[in-house]
Amino acid sequence: MKKNVFVSILSVWIFLFTTVPSWATLNVVTTTPDLASIAKEIGGTFIQTDSLVKGYQDAHFMQPKPSYLVKMNRADLLIYQGLELEIGWLPVLLNGARNPDIRPGQPGHLNASDRIAALEIPKGEVDRSMGDVHPYGNPHYNLDPENGFILARVIGDKLSELDPENASQYKLNLDSFNKKLQEKLAQWKNQMSPFQGKEIVTYHKHWSYFSKRFGLSVIDTIELKPGVSPSVKHLSALTETMIRQKIKLILQANYIDSKFSNIVAEKTGATVLPLPVFVGGTPDAKDYFSLFDTIIEKISHVLQSNS
Amino acid sequence: MQLKFYFMLSLFLFFIPASAWSASQLEVLEERIRALENEKKDSSSEKKEENTDTASGNDRSQNFWKYDNSTQSTSTATGISRRFNPAISVNGLFLGTYNSAGNYDATKSDRTGLKVQEAEVQLTSSIDNWLTGNVVLSIEGTTGIEIEEIITEALLTRNLNLRAGKFFVPFGKHNQLHTHAYAFIDRPVINQEIFGEEGLNEQGIGFSYLIPVDWFSQLTFQVLEGNNPLQFNGPAGSDFAYLIRENNFWDMNDETTLELGGTYVYGKNSLAGPSDFDNETHLAGMDLTLKWQPAGRENYKTFIWQTEIMGSFREQTQEGWYTQVQHQFAKEWWIQGRYSGYKIANGPNRQDKNQWSALLAWESSEFSAIRLQYNHLNQAATDEDQVLLQLNFTLGSHPAHNY
Repeated sequence: MKKNVFVSILSVWIFLFTTVPSWATLNVVTTTPDLASIAKEIGGTFIQTDSLVKGYQDAHFMQPKPSYLVKMNRADLLIYQGLELEIGWLPVLLNGARNPDIRPGQPGHLNASDRIAALEIPKGEVDRSMGDVHPYGNPHYNLDPENGFILARVIGDKLSELDPENASQYKLNLDSFNKKLQEKLAQWKNQMSPFQGKEIVTYHKHWSYFSKRFGLSVIDTIELKPGVSPSVKHLSALTETMIRQKIKLILQANYIDSKFSNIVAEKTGATVLPLPVFVGGTPDAKDYFSLFDTIIEKISHVLQSNS
Repeated sequence: MQLKFYFMLSLFLFFIPASAWSASQLEVLEERIRALENEKKDSSSEKKEENTDTASGNDRSQNFWKYDNSTQSTSTATGISRRFNPAISVNGLFLGTYNSAGNYDATKSDRTGLKVQEAEVQLTSSIDNWLTGNVVLSIEGTTGIEIEEIITEALLTRNLNLRAGKFFVPFGKHNQLHTHAYAFIDRPVINQEIFGEEGLNEQGIGFSYLIPVDWFSQLTFQVLEGNNPLQFNGPAGSDFAYLIRENNFWDMNDETTLELGGTYVYGKNSLAGPSDFDNETHLAGMDLTLKWQPAGRENYKTFIWQTEIMGSFREQTQEGWYTQVQHQFAKEWWIQGRYSGYKIANGPNRQDKNQWSALLAWESSEFSAIRLQYNHLNQAATDEDQVLLQLNFTLGSHPAHNY
């Protein structure tokens, strides 16, 4: 009979531990650090933020570590970048987190891409033969600072909904964030204005939103299909094009091995520029503003010395 | 029977937290919902205005048309919506084998030749507001379909999950995996010998509870039918097997993680033996997994070390372990090694064997791999050498694997 007693004791013990821990501040977990940075600007001291992806990691291919699941378990709000950026790892974490507040359809579940105008939505059917293609469009929209306004608004609305008591403070923070971003945006555009229409090559389609905003023209990518290592044939064709059109800059996320970019750079004399694509990607990209400070400073430096 | 009473009692206790809301709490909640609904109405009308404001200027209007097209294409000629179809995927495993033991024994599954090792069809979806479902149909070889897993899950209260159906029992790490997710082409000798061809796969019901501590710590309790022909199959059909598992996971730093787990299963068997075991089976196991990926270069390098030790204690003692290392040395390449030992230490069926394995894999994406494996099996009969070449592919919408 020992075992039966054991079973009952176990049940009582679990029952006692299912009481929900309470938190004084709103606990916000984001998938990407840019969302965390913006949330921190809006939420101020009323929220705690934690990003699952570190700035130097590839958000497409994260490992669904159980430690993430613990963070999500304690979250009042989950904000994710969406457009299937996190499709490979977020669903399994959401299920394992055992947190009813952040499940799909709950107030604590926020897809930050809801109100973003996505670029590069594939026309017609998509298929895995096209590589790691995103059927709802390019998910790297965080690299257009204009989208920062939309993200801030969406996050601000959500925080006010979950914590109406502090809504007025969130509104104030949102206003000052918008003001600062407006000033910064004018400065960044000014910095990039000499390079309007400049042709560049990127490794992955990280830079579509960024180049559209700042008037750079991406003529091709090092990888032929997203997420797939390029073929020799593609690289040699690309090399010819770059020499012909005198393209001197290859942009890539700093978590990507620059092996292939270097091969092309050697033959074309172009500069390979590994850049952070998220807040925290390099130590000086501390928040959403300094991320663009860093990127734009580096790009304009290279383009200036090339011309 | 007293046992059943305790079981029902414990089930009942599990459900209490969900229903323990007092009337006053409910009233407060209703109040809040009403307030939120009103707010939402306001904000949605606001959003509409904003949408028309910003529609011009960038390509938002273009996107609007694209989305519209996609909604139209989902209706079908029959008028039946496909929107709620489950996610469907197929895992195919095609295997070529060379075995030094020859092909004299027709019953052996690892004979020299080419074969479809297995095809797994997986369907995953939410069932309704509170249940999710997962069905895995498996076809081993080219004929005969069987239900490998059929699982329904629900979140009962915060931290507490209910699982019911037929599933791979969480005994250690390896036993939970589908064939296509094995680290090597075959299972370690210890798993093959203790649980047989199918692994420990049972019908049952259970709970898993996320313990509220700073690290990941999970307690799993399951009541199982106890059908495994090698370990249970008790004399009375009503004999359950009971599983308890505790596993922990720590981030040691940004690059290294450690998982440590222990499992115990108690069940009945119908095997005659010395009376001190009284037809009882005790299974116990420990597992340790260490993973390392360099920060910022996660896609190019991985090191995994996994070890499991397990035993079955009944009228005879079966015990063994495996230890394996997996090393990803370039984006698409893995090299791996494994040792697995197994023995029956007492009784008339004394046995002792061990296996060395090496594997080289080329994974062009997470959806396909070509893997070459060599096995050397040391045993009382003639030693066996095997060479296995596997094509492992996934088509369709496959749910992510656990860490």
